[in-house]
Amino acid sequence: MKKLSIADRLGLVNYRNQGRSQVKPHILVNTDICNSVCPHKCTTYVCPANCYTLDEEGRVHFQFEDCIECGTCMYACDQGAVDWHYPDPEVGRGVNWNYG
Amino acid sequence: MDDKLTCIIVGGGIAGLSAAMILAQKEVPFILIERGSYSGAKNVSGGVLWGTDLARLVPGYWKDEQAGFERFVNHRRLTFLDEQSAFSIDFKSSHFDEPPYMGVTVLRAIFDRWLADKVQEAIDKSACAEESFLAYDVLVERLIMEDDRVVGVEVSGGETLYADCVILAEGVNNLLTRQAGLQESYVPADYMAVGVKEIIRMDQRVLEDRFQLSGRSGMANEFIGHATEGVEGGGFLYTNRNTLSVGLVLGMADLRDKVKKPYEILDTFKSHPVVADMLRGGEVVEYSAHVVSTGDMRAMPREIYGDGLLITGEAANLLLNAGKAIQGMDFAMHSGILAAETVAEAREAGDFSRATLQRYRKRLEESYVLTNMRNFQDAVRFLHQPAMFETMPRVACDFGRSFFTVENRSMPKIRHILRDVVRRHTRPLDMLKLMYKAWRSL
Repeated sequence: MKKLSIADRLGLVNYRNQGRSQVKPHILVNTDICNSVCPHKCTTYVCPANCYTLDEEGRVHFQFEDCIECGTCMYACDQGAVDWHYPDPEVGRGVNWNYG
Repeated sequence: MDDKLTCIIVGGGIAGLSAAMILAQKEVPFILIERGSYSGAKNVSGGVLWGTDLARLVPGYWKDEQAGFERFVNHRRLTFLDEQSAFSIDFKSSHFDEPPYMGVTVLRAIFDRWLADKVQEAIDKSACAEESFLAYDVLVERLIMEDDRVVGVEVSGGETLYADCVILAEGVNNLLTRQAGLQESYVPADYMAVGVKEIIRMDQRVLEDRFQLSGRSGMANEFIGHATEGVEGGGFLYTNRNTLSVGLVLGMADLRDKVKKPYEILDTFKSHPVVADMLRGGEVVEYSAHVVSTGDMRAMPREIYGDGLLITGEAANLLLNAGKAIQGMDFAMHSGILAAETVAEAREAGDFSRATLQRYRKRLEESYVLTNMRNFQDAVRFLHQPAMFETMPRVACDFGRSFFTVENRSMPKIRHILRDVVRRHTRPLDMLKLMYKAWRSL
């Protein structure tokens, strides 16, 4: 089988409110914590949707748009940087699984 | 909606729908609130619903060609992997061909939606047809508490609903259970895992021929060893009607410690020569992931009931993987049923305090759910040690390679092969200790 990149994989996910211009984030990340005291920055590799990325300077950035609501970052972050909620059905993002 | 309701169910997955089915049958009015646009929209599972509880909830479901399950399981396989090899324990029997089936593969967006239709049919037939309903696209933001007692919920948009009791069936990311004070607001990664999965579509005839399926029979194959690149956990491959569910369950703390990306380990698993042979020609149609409990009871909430509150399914961390099967959806179903039975009793007694709702705990303790979780806790911990997911698969595959190699020379006896294999990967004494521990815990 052809090897899929994470971008290919996320391209298969059916998200809610894709057409909406203003979408309310459901996870708030205090990246000041990631970029000051965190010894591992683990969300940048454990997140199955690659929502947490490192820039050239090694700083953590978070975007919620690709989030598939799995919950991993809420447990894996032991630094208190992740404030995790479910997306609002009306104005949030989040997934609609076709198979699940 | 100013009137006080009898029961609010939070979550329209298997636990919530099972509770709803029983309440409908017992003529107890309720509202089920689901944040997805349909049941299953937010749910991910590995893919096998074990046991026969489904037959209790939807009698004769297998007679319905449109029933929401994929295939019944009559073929089980546990496979040990090293880089090149696969050594399997394989069992298939026509004994499993007769309904009620001992397990069915499911895709949650399809299965839960079907189950919700069945619940709606039960509501329509009940005396509460005008009062009970399934509400979608609504998120419960918080529980409304009055002196430690749950009296209702506040939903997205700010509306409040009041009820005699609330059944939480919110899933493993149990924010409301935490708000109720039954679990710490931060749950560490130690007893949690993350599942990643792909749905791989192939021509139905190819799939049936490749996996030797007939009619609606199916196979469940679990993997340990090289599948996870040394991270605690294992892999799975389940046959659906015209797709495969292929994925991994990875210990979250171990994944963090070993600095691995779950989808890259999935690539490794899929490209294992033996696994690749099973997937060839398939097309990935969905990639998904979800947190899952490991079945370690240390991850459970402090209590699973309170005044006006019952906690079911994975919100209560009800799950067991003791090497035989990964059981979670059947536990969700059973706990949902028991919670609803307790609510019906509470309504009869006119008391929704913990004095009555503690009967749910008692029921669950007496059921197979908590008896199995308690009896197999040693097995859960035994299986999560590196010797089991690293050393044992290597020993099995090395033994297989030596045993099944036939050369035109004098061959060693099995016990000599075994002795040499064990010495290559561990110390004989460690192996004996491991065998003893396995004997005690399994």
